[in-house]
Amino acid sequence: MKRLKILKPTLREKNRYISFQVISEKGEEFTYSDLESAIWNVTLDFLGEYGVSKTSIWLLKDCWNQKKQIGILRCNHKSVQVVIAALGLIDRLGDNRITFKILKISGTIKSIRKIMG
Amino acid sequence: MNFYDFHIHPKFSEGKCSVEEIARRAKLLGFKGICITNYFTDKSKIKTLKKEISEVSEKLEFKIFIGFSAKTVDQLKKLVRMRKGYDVLLVKGSDLYLNRKAVETKEVDILTHPELNRRDSGLNHIMAKLATKNNVAIEINFREILQSSKNTRSAIIHNIAENVRLCKKYKTPIAICSGAASHWQLKDPKVLISMGCLLGLELNEAKKALSELPENIIKMIRERQNEKWVRPGVKVV
Repeated sequence: MKRLKILKPTLREKNRYISFQVISEKGEEFTYSDLESAIWNVTLDFLGEYGVSKTSIWLLKDCWNQKKQIGILRCNHKSVQVVIAALGLIDRLGDNRITFKILKISGTIKSIRKIMG
Repeated sequence: MNFYDFHIHPKFSEGKCSVEEIARRAKLLGFKGICITNYFTDKSKIKTLKKEISEVSEKLEFKIFIGFSAKTVDQLKKLVRMRKGYDVLLVKGSDLYLNRKAVETKEVDILTHPELNRRDSGLNHIMAKLATKNNVAIEINFREILQSSKNTRSAIIHNIAENVRLCKKYKTPIAICSGAASHWQLKDPKVLISMGCLLGLELNEAKKALSELPENIIKMIRERQNEKWVRPGVKVV
């Protein structure tokens, strides 16, 4: 199948990468799918379908570190504040209480990967 | 930038966690200091509270201030009389008369959630002007948004945004606090800043609400601890 020609950098959507850590009650290790569903549920609840469509939110699967509970969330540059505020509204994952600690916000995935080790 | 959260309830107030648990979590999240808020009952408790808080503060090397929250006008009057005995004076908003009294009192530092359990925002242009004149900050309370959902949450967000609009117009100081009743309700400073931005503040204004305003309050606390201080604007020379 023929792929679409890549857009010019000026025409591409400008992404921001938010790295975060999940702090849990007893140090539980949450999986990618647990977290993904929680983030989708809360953002859809808080922003609505239309609001979420404007954020281009995506939790990067290959960047989820289950041991350290550190992950990277991608969104566009205009909706960083909205996404972080929505993250703050997640206080439970299943039966466990959790908090998010925002580690870094960056424009490139390369620089944000450094802090993940 | 140093961030402070000036509205947290421990277990001896309406909260569920000890001061140590709260302080540990706040330190982990990147706060420079916090204010432990209690509801006023009687004078005798202040000494024991101070002792407990200073022990935790020394142990964790973390700034902890003592605040009292007034629920009624009587409590507010009593707390104003003994203003030198503690650090921060907050007023629990919701009642219109109490909201008005709070913004009229120079000794008050923060009027917390003026829109609590109300259909309106609990603040008008006259009260906003008075708050500016008396340097009383209006609070954006994160717990209110966190603990509500659906139509209630949207109404609360609308009321807070309305207050923010008024405060911006009349240059009233704004404080962003978590209002946490447990260490699980404490939020990262970046989350609080982002919520401030969603409610109508500019990014630098939101940052100021979390750092500059508490620092000004801390400056006032230091001034008040000075022996020469009598009351706001009056000093022994």
